[in-house]
Amino acid sequence: MSNNQIELDATGLNCPLPILRAKKSVAGLTSGDVLHVIATDPGSVKDFESFCNQTGNELVSSGEENGKFVFDIRKA
Amino acid sequence: MSTRLKAPERKASILAVAKVLFADKGYHGVSVDEIAKRLGVSPAVLYQHFPSKEALYEAALNSISEIRESYVSVILEEPSDFGSVLKRMTRVFVESVSNDPDYLRMELMSALEGAAVANQFFENRWRSFTDYIEYSIKELSKEGKVSDIDPRMASLMFQGMLREALYTKCILVENRYRDISLNKLVNQLLETFLNSIAYRDKQ
Repeated sequence: MSNNQIELDATGLNCPLPILRAKKSVAGLTSGDVLHVIATDPGSVKDFESFCNQTGNELVSSGEENGKFVFDIRKA
Repeated sequence: MSTRLKAPERKASILAVAKVLFADKGYHGVSVDEIAKRLGVSPAVLYQHFPSKEALYEAALNSISEIRESYVSVILEEPSDFGSVLKRMTRVFVESVSNDPDYLRMELMSALEGAAVANQFFENRWRSFTDYIEYSIKELSKEGKVSDIDPRMASLMFQGMLREALYTKCILVENRYRDISLNKLVNQLLETFLNSIAYRDKQ
């Protein structure tokens, strides 16, 4: 069975909104699904690390593309 | 005579002393000589680390304005309705600011003196609140869970209220509110704010 990938566009949003949106999005996923987040707030790098540490979801990747911050989060 | 410090330590100690003096007297009220005297070093030592008073002031402002609370735990905790999250965010912010009231003094001073960096205070510290309030009120409004209020006005009202509470308790220490703790004052103001927007989504 293949897992789904959902995209969350959090560009232009400041902490804590990207985390709030991610929390809601992850709640709608099933285990193994991946949430792809795009953000512009530099603080989101630390915030998503912390988000994954606290929720037990896996931060598959965290990087920067064209001046935006991108994260892949796999639901536990 | 002052002890010899390594460059990063010296720089940090200069910044710490400069921050307190600038917070107390503003940019124009402090001289490089005064900062050097307080540190027990010659002004030449200061100039080795900062080329000018302006550079030192900017570095001191930046060191404060870059502080940013993380609201990740606040978002992950339950209950997750708007009022509960706003209360937890406010608690984190109030605790941080009351631990370092120099932040408030620098914010006021930088605004009065027109420092370019003043905007960073808003971006780093207040914008989390204004964005969260505006976003949430727009969403709640669609569901009829708040009154028909302009989200920008609501966030401005909140910001003004919280700032004034912090000034009152952390800087002015006004007699009128001496009998009420900062946390109690902020809690009561939060209730007033939520009532004023007719918030009805309590969990």
